[in-house]
Amino acid sequence: MKRIIFAFLSVIACALDLFAQEAAPVEVFPTAPYDRYIIFQSLALFWVAIVGLIVIIRMKLKEIERVQKMGIDREEKDIPLLD
Amino acid sequence: MSCQRLRNWIEERYDVEGMKRLARHKLVPVHQYEIWYYTGGIAMFLFILQFITGMVLSFYYIPYFEHANKSIIEIVTKLNMGWFFRSLHHWGAQLAITALFIHVFSTLLLKSYRKPRELLWISGFMLLGISIFFGLSGYFLLWDERAFAAVRVATGGAGNLPVIGGFIKAFLRGGLDVTGDTLTRFYAFHVSVLPLITLFLVGIHVLLVQYHGMSVPMSLEKKPLKQIPFFPNLFYKDLIIWLLVLGLTVTLATLLPPEIGKKADPLAPAPENIKPEWYFLFLFQTLKLFPGEILGMNGETIAIILISCGILFFFLIPFFDRRSSRGEKSVLFTWIGVFYTLYFIVMTIIGFLS
Repeated sequence: MKRIIFAFLSVIACALDLFAQEAAPVEVFPTAPYDRYIIFQSLALFWVAIVGLIVIIRMKLKEIERVQKMGIDREEKDIPLLD
Repeated sequence: MSCQRLRNWIEERYDVEGMKRLARHKLVPVHQYEIWYYTGGIAMFLFILQFITGMVLSFYYIPYFEHANKSIIEIVTKLNMGWFFRSLHHWGAQLAITALFIHVFSTLLLKSYRKPRELLWISGFMLLGISIFFGLSGYFLLWDERAFAAVRVATGGAGNLPVIGGFIKAFLRGGLDVTGDTLTRFYAFHVSVLPLITLFLVGIHVLLVQYHGMSVPMSLEKKPLKQIPFFPNLFYKDLIIWLLVLGLTVTLATLLPPEIGKKADPLAPAPENIKPEWYFLFLFQTLKLFPGEILGMNGETIAIILISCGILFFFLIPFFDRRSSRGEKSVLFTWIGVFYTLYFIVMTIIGFLS
């Protein structure tokens, strides 16, 4: 009798899986509002840093081009050297 | 003071001044198509990003079918910044493949493959193929039902090739069907075989670029062009573009983190309306154009043979385009280039929308 009850309960337990709800999708992004706020704030700061770096590199590039235009970056031949 | 001593220490042992002189002597022509010079640099930058994020992910990923999907869920949900590194790796891959496609098609349309740059084209094309396989193998590591179905379709498609198809299919799958063995195999490809080949090919590609110098479009070849030094002028411009690409990758990774599907079940039917990754969509759409049977032969096999011939022709195009290699105009190959580019774009869009 015990075996029959056990088998019956096992069948019911397995059948319950058929009525199981779809598993919730995995959260691939932090859900806490504070975490989200920090992430978006960091993203904005990251872009500010990128723009800042681009401005510095452009300034540097313009200076290099100015020096090249003047020709003072080229080595002169037969330049007297101080020993 | 210590910095000066370190500099002296290095300069005593290595010809730093000679190296600087060499870098200053590399010149790059300036013209209206120079924007295309940056696409190769973007791809290389993204490869470096992929190596770094991939190494971080490999510390926690478990390449065993029972745990693979769960380990990614744990990376994303439990590890500090795990979601970000995974998302960065995903978007880095998408953008790297996009940059490579743009690089290949711009090279095709500007005919930069012509003599003496045939080997540059060959190494670049092989890098594109490897990147696509990188994408497929990386996608499969997720071990979710969509990735499982995609790999089953992709490896099954390769199996339709006559003579060698069966061998390729068995080699990729590690057996008759896609199983846990396939996962182990794809992991080995993704983290050791493909990176080694990539490093080797990138090395050859960069060396050949240094050896031949930058290619100039045929229409501008006879005109006197202004030249600027690669270092520092073009290098700084490259840096600006790399920063923008990094910003774009980080933004996409933050705003659109990729989903994780249900764990793959090899016995379950494939989910409905599955589509391959975007870089396979043109192949997917082409396969749809063919009927199941043509003159008593399997339509899919014929489609795979025709696609393979098309890709082989694309791969060997520098050797077919004899006029360009002689420095003459070759209108036919311009139209072939336009056809290939448009076909890829249109079929990808149709595949995406349908």
